[in-house]
Amino acid sequence: MTRYSFGTITAMLTVIAWRNVWRNHRRTLIMLGAIAVGVWAMIWLTAIMRGMVDQMITDSIKNLIAHVQIHAPAYRDDPSIANSMPAPSDSLQQALQDPAIQTWSTRVRVPAVISSERESAGVTLVGISPLREREMLFLAGAVTDGRYLQSPRDDGVIIGAKLAERLETRLGWRIVIMSQDPDNDIVDRGFRVVGIFDTEMEATETSYVFTGLQSAQEFLKMGSQVSELAVLTNDYRHEQPIVDKLRDAAPDLEVLPWQEIDKYLATMLNVVEGFVWVWFIVVFIAMSFGLVNTLLMAVFERTREIGLIQALGMKPRLILLQVLIESFFLLSVGLVFGNLLSWLSIIPIQDGWDISALGVEGLEYAGMSTMLYPVVQASDVILSNVVVIVLGLIASLYPAWRAARHVPVEAITRI
Amino acid sequence: MSTVICKQLSKVFGEGELAVHALSDIDLDIQSGSFACLSGPSGSGKTTLLNLIGGLDTPTHGEITVAEQRVDRMNKAQLANMRLHHIGFVFQAYNLIPVLTAQENVEFVMQLQGMHHSQRAEKSRSILNEVGLSGMENRRPAEMSGGQQQRVAVARALVSEPDLVLADEPTANLDSHTAENLMDLLVDLNQRHGTTFIISTHDKLVMSYAKRLIKMRDGKIEDDGSRQSVS
Amino acid sequence: MGINLTLAWRNLWRHPRRTGLTLAAIVFSDVLLVWMIALQLGQYDMMIDNTLQSFTGHVQIQAHGYLDNPQMRRTVPDAIELAAHIRQELHNTNSHTEAKINAHVSARAMGFALVSSEKRSYGAQIAGVQPQYEPQVSVIPGLIQQGRYLSGPDREEAVIGSVMARNLKAGIGDELTLLGSGKDGSFAAAVVPIVGIYESGNTELDRQLVQLPLRYFQDVFSMRGSAHSIVVTATSHEQTQNLTARLRNLIHDDNLDVVNWERLQPGLKQAIQADFSTAWLMYGVLVALVAFSVLNTFLMSVLERTREFGIMLALGVTPGKVGRLVWTESFFMAVTGMLFGIAAGAAFTTYFVIHGFSYPGMEELASKFNLPDRFYPALNSVSLLLGPGVIFIATLLAALWPATRIHLLKPVEAMQAV
Repeated sequence: MTRYSFGTITAMLTVIAWRNVWRNHRRTLIMLGAIAVGVWAMIWLTAIMRGMVDQMITDSIKNLIAHVQIHAPAYRDDPSIANSMPAPSDSLQQALQDPAIQTWSTRVRVPAVISSERESAGVTLVGISPLREREMLFLAGAVTDGRYLQSPRDDGVIIGAKLAERLETRLGWRIVIMSQDPDNDIVDRGFRVVGIFDTEMEATETSYVFTGLQSAQEFLKMGSQVSELAVLTNDYRHEQPIVDKLRDAAPDLEVLPWQEIDKYLATMLNVVEGFVWVWFIVVFIAMSFGLVNTLLMAVFERTREIGLIQALGMKPRLILLQVLIESFFLLSVGLVFGNLLSWLSIIPIQDGWDISALGVEGLEYAGMSTMLYPVVQASDVILSNVVVIVLGLIASLYPAWRAARHVPVEAITRI
Repeated sequence: MSTVICKQLSKVFGEGELAVHALSDIDLDIQSGSFACLSGPSGSGKTTLLNLIGGLDTPTHGEITVAEQRVDRMNKAQLANMRLHHIGFVFQAYNLIPVLTAQENVEFVMQLQGMHHSQRAEKSRSILNEVGLSGMENRRPAEMSGGQQQRVAVARALVSEPDLVLADEPTANLDSHTAENLMDLLVDLNQRHGTTFIISTHDKLVMSYAKRLIKMRDGKIEDDGSRQSVS
Repeated sequence: MGINLTLAWRNLWRHPRRTGLTLAAIVFSDVLLVWMIALQLGQYDMMIDNTLQSFTGHVQIQAHGYLDNPQMRRTVPDAIELAAHIRQELHNTNSHTEAKINAHVSARAMGFALVSSEKRSYGAQIAGVQPQYEPQVSVIPGLIQQGRYLSGPDREEAVIGSVMARNLKAGIGDELTLLGSGKDGSFAAAVVPIVGIYESGNTELDRQLVQLPLRYFQDVFSMRGSAHSIVVTATSHEQTQNLTARLRNLIHDDNLDVVNWERLQPGLKQAIQADFSTAWLMYGVLVALVAFSVLNTFLMSVLERTREFGIMLALGVTPGKVGRLVWTESFFMAVTGMLFGIAAGAAFTTYFVIHGFSYPGMEELASKFNLPDRFYPALNSVSLLLGPGVIFIATLLAALWPATRIHLLKPVEAMQAV
C-alpha cells in the first residue's frame, strides 16, 4: 500500500478544491461579487473617512494650531497679555534647530476690540512674522483682496471678509484696535486694512485680525515678549519626540502637542481608528452569511460525492481541509477583485473629489473642506484582507465540519 | 376520429455536419381512444416524438394536429394552454412537486385551470381513489414508493380529463410487479374514460399491453401494427 | 390562490439552514440600520434642542437684515411691548382655527463692549434680557453656579460666564466697566456689579457673554425702547414651522422678519446634513451586501429546481406563473426578514433608549456640538421602518433576476437537468 505524503495529498486536494470552486460558475461569481464588494467597502470607505479627517486636521493645524505650541504656563487658561513669555532662550533656539522641525515662529496673540466708525467687535489680535508663517498658517494663501503682510514691522492689518462686512469697512480704510498693555492700561491705535482674507470657516473670518509681530509688540508695549511659539514638524503623527525635546529645553514653559490643544481633533483621529475596526467587522459579518451559505450549498449538493471519497478511504479531516482550501480560493479570488475595485474607484478621485457635487452639505461647519482627498493606508488594506481571509476561514469551519461529518453509507444512499 | 395526426414531421438538432436527424418524415394517425406504444432502442426518436406531440418542443418541419388543433403553429402561451387542457403527461421519474402532498399535486393542475376549491378537493380525492391511493392524500412524494408516486402522476395527468395522455417510459424506475400494476391501471383508465394513451417504452411488458405497437428506429417508423392485448 | 402560497412557503423552507442564514443576514442588517438610524436621529434631536435651548430659541423676530449683518442699529422698536403682545396672542389661541402652541417669548438686545475688571479687559457680547422671561427661553439662567440670576427689568447688575470670570479675575460683587458704543453711535459706558456667574460647559459661551436686564441695557446703549430680537421657544423644534407661520400672521411690519432656527443656526442644519450624507454611504454598502446574499440564495434555489420547473412548464404552467412563484417565495423571505428585523431592531434599540449609548472619546466630540456624553436613540416610525424598508425593497429586487431567468427555460431541456 502506498502512503502518500501530506504534501502530495494537499496538492491533490488543492486541485480538487480549485475545480470545485468553478463547478457552479454563476454561484461562484455571485459570491466573488459579494466578497469583492465587501472588501471594496472596507478599503474605499476607510480611505474616504481617513481623507476627511486628514483634511480636517491639516486645515485645523493651519488654523493657528500648528503641531506644537509653547506658552507661558498660565496662558491657555487666561490668554491675556499678562501671561506672555520672553523671546525664545538660547537653549530653546538650539532645540528648535532639530531637523524634524520644518519651521517655527513666535506670535503675539491677545484679545482685542476692533471698531470702525459704525460697529465694534471682539477679536483676537495676532502678531506674526509673515515669512516664517507662510507654511504654518493658512493666511498667506487666503488673502483675496489687498496684500499679505510683508515683515514683522508691517503695521497694516489683515481682517476677514465677514468681519469687514460686519464693521462696514473695506480695504485701505482705517479701523481702531483696542486692547490692554502689560500694566493693564487700555491701549488703542488706528490701523490701516491692507488685506482681506477669505476662509471656509466663518468663525475664523470674524475672530482673527493679523498684523506684524513687532508692530503688535510696540502697540501693546510688550517689548520683545511674545504670547506663543508655534512649531511645524515634518509629520503631525509623530511630534511627541520633538515635544519631549522642547520640554527639556524650556522647562518653565508649557509645551503642548496639537492633540492637547484641540482635543476634538485628537479624538476624531482616535474615533476613526476605532471606526475602521468596527466597520471591517460589520461588513465582514454581513458578507459571511452569504459565504457560509454558498459553501454549505456546495457541500450539500456533493453529499454523495463526499461519501464516495470517504468510502474510498479519505479521512474526514482531509475533507475538512479540502472545503477550507475551497473557501480560501473563493476568498482569495474575491480579495483580488475587491482590491482591484478599490484601486479603480480611488484612482479617479486621488487628486481630490469635490463632494459638494453630491449634495453633501454642512462640511464647513464641521471644519471640513468640500474637496476630499482619499487616504489609502497600507495598514488598512492589509488589515481588511487579513480580516476577510482569517474570519472567512473561521466562518467556513461550519460547512467544512458538516461535510466531514457524513457517514459514507448514509451519504451515498442519499439522493 | 383522430386525436393525433402527424404529417411529414421532422426534427433536426444542430446544424451542418453536426446535424442529428432525430425524426424524419413521420406520418402518424392515432385514433381517439387508442392505447398505443412507441417502442424502439434509445435514440430512436420516441421521446422526441412525444415531446413534439405534447408541444414541449417545436418541429423543424411538418404538421402536428392534436384534438383538431395545429400544435406546430402555436405560440408559447397557446402551447401552455393546450397542455393544460388537452394533454396529460407522465414522466419517468421525479414527476411530482416535492413540497406538495399527493392531493395537492393533483389539485395543482386543476387550480391552474381555475377550478373552484370545493370541486377540486372532491375531484382529486375521487381520482386518487381511482388510482388506488385513497388514504395517502396527505403524503408528500418522499413518503411514497416509486409506484405510488407514478400513480399520483397518472392521477394528475387524468384529472383534467385530457384528450390525450403522453407517458414517457413510465415504468422505467419500477420493479416488474409494480410496473404490471401500473399498466393494468392505465389500460383500465383507457377503457373507462376513453382517453387516448401514447406510451413510449423499451420494456417488453409494457409493449404487451399495447393495442397498437409503433416500432421506431433511427427517427423513422419501422413497423406500425396492431397487436392483440395479452391482458 | 391557496396552493401557490403554500407552494411558495414550503419551497422557502426546503433548505431551512440556507433560508435561516439568509434571514439572519437580513435581520442582522435590519437591526444594525434601525439602531444606527435611531441613534443618528436621537443625536440630531439632541443637537438641535440643546443648541437652540442654550440661547438661540426656535424662532426669532428681528429687524430686516439683522440676520446677515447683526448691527446695533437694526432694531425691533418697542420690543418689550411687542413681546408682551405676541405672548398674549400665542396664549389666546383661537382654538377653532389654530392648534395651540405652548411657546415662550422674551425680548433681547445685543451689543458689544470692552469689559474690564480691575485687572483685565476683554471684548464681549452684551445681552440685554428680560429677567422675568429669559429663563423660559434659555437654559443659561438655570446654570448659575455662583450668586443669582438677574432680579428685575431695570436693576443695574450683570451675570457673566465662568471662563470670563476667571479671565477677568473677577467674582461676585466685583464691578465691571463696560465701554462700547450705543445704537446712535454715542459713547456707552457703565459700571455694574457681578451678581451671578453661570457655567454652560460651552467654553465659547462661558467666555463671551455678559447679560444685563433689558431696560438697563436700553439706557446704557441708548436703545430708546428698542431691542434686536424677540426670541420664541416652543416645547420642541418640531413645532418650528407651525410657530413660524403663526408669528408671520401676527407681525404686520415689513421691517421685521420672522426667522426660524434653520436660518439662525445654518451650521447646525448643515452639520446634520453632512453627517447624514456620509452615513448614507455606509448604509448603502450594507444594503448591497445583503442584496448579494439574497441574490445568491435565490439563484441557487432556482438552479437546483430546474427539473421541477420543467415539469411545471410541461403541465401547462406558463413561465410567467413559475416566475411569480419564485417571486412569491422571495416576498415571503423579505417579509419574514423584515418582521423579525423590525422586532429585533426595536428590542435591541430599546435597550439603548433606556440605558443610553456612549463610546470612548465621545465626550470631546459631544461637547463640540453641545451634547451630553450619552446618546439616547430616537425610536420612532422613521428609524424603525426606514432601514428594514429599504432592505425589503433591495431583497425583492435581488430576487427579480433569478425569477426572470425562468422565462428562458425550455421545458425539454429543463426536464433533462438533474
